[in-house]
Amino acid sequence: MWLPFFGLIVGITLGLLSDITIPKEYENYLSIAVLAALDTLFGGIRAHLQNLYDEKVFVSGFFFNILLAASLAFLGVHLGVDLYLAAIFAFGVRLFQNIAVIRRLILSRWEKKREK
Amino acid sequence: MNNQLFTMTVISLIIGLMIAVQFQTINDKPAVRDTRDSFELRQDLLKEKETELTLLEEIRSTNDKLAEYANDEQRTREEVMENTLMELKEETGLTSIKGTGIILTIDSIDQELLLGEKPGKANARLIRRLINELNMYGAAEISVNGNRHVNTSAIRDINMETKMDGQTLNSLPLEVKVLAKDEQAARELYNRMKVSASADDFFAYNLVISVKKSTDITIPAYKKNIVIRYMEPIMEKGGNS
Repeated sequence: MWLPFFGLIVGITLGLLSDITIPKEYENYLSIAVLAALDTLFGGIRAHLQNLYDEKVFVSGFFFNILLAASLAFLGVHLGVDLYLAAIFAFGVRLFQNIAVIRRLILSRWEKKREK
Repeated sequence: MNNQLFTMTVISLIIGLMIAVQFQTINDKPAVRDTRDSFELRQDLLKEKETELTLLEEIRSTNDKLAEYANDEQRTREEVMENTLMELKEETGLTSIKGTGIILTIDSIDQELLLGEKPGKANARLIRRLINELNMYGAAEISVNGNRHVNTSAIRDINMETKMDGQTLNSLPLEVKVLAKDEQAARELYNRMKVSASADDFFAYNLVISVKKSTDITIPAYKKNIVIRYMEPIMEKGGNS
């Protein structure tokens, strides 16, 4: 169970050590992509806790969401409409919901364990 | 189950990478490079040394004053207080001061040069610029047509009339008296003003500046009350006395 967190930490350290930066113009896209990725990750954790986890859905969702969010932001830039706000809103709301569900699931599991 | 964990780990690794890259991109500010060469560095060092010297002088004078205050005799205390008051008055410009400096005379250019244009008028912007320039070149005290320029002096165009602290400055020639700290500073100021860009600015308004050195300049005191709106005395409890 702790392996994903370990992966996250390794990823962050690798990124910080490697000194990679992207051009300022693409900052927006990456931030949206990060948000989409986080949303997918928490969605995956929730599905895992609810025993609904499907690997194909998870992996495809990860890449598809990132691409969709980035292209939405790209389209927004070219249309002069702040479409990336739509992505931020959608992912933000979903992120909160997923985290709330995860919290409830963990709480109920914990209580069950205590009753035993 | 194992496969699932593996996917999760890879995905979170990617997310970690993305977060780290984003973090670095946002915090990546170009470092400010020091491009001064040795001469500029030396000059800056000299300037800092001068600042240090003035600060040391100030500390010494303040320490002296403190020692005098600490002196028990009532009479000396009063004297010291009065001295301090006089010093502060001098600093704000409430006393007239004599010394060496330069006299700038602003006048209209010759009739032949006007070519039918109207004779020039010194507007507030020009005078403000001139005073800024003088201050930049080390002027200690400035008066315009006998009006002392203090920190709160206002030079404005009011109804097409140039006014300084309410006094009209329309009539030409204008006489700007500038007091320098000492003989050398006065010489420096003179040389600077001789080649100053202000002359060109004034010429654009059909005015001409002439600079004259003088060892005997009297700058009058500021005549009006200085209105202090945003300062309040700190009511602090003294020592045991």
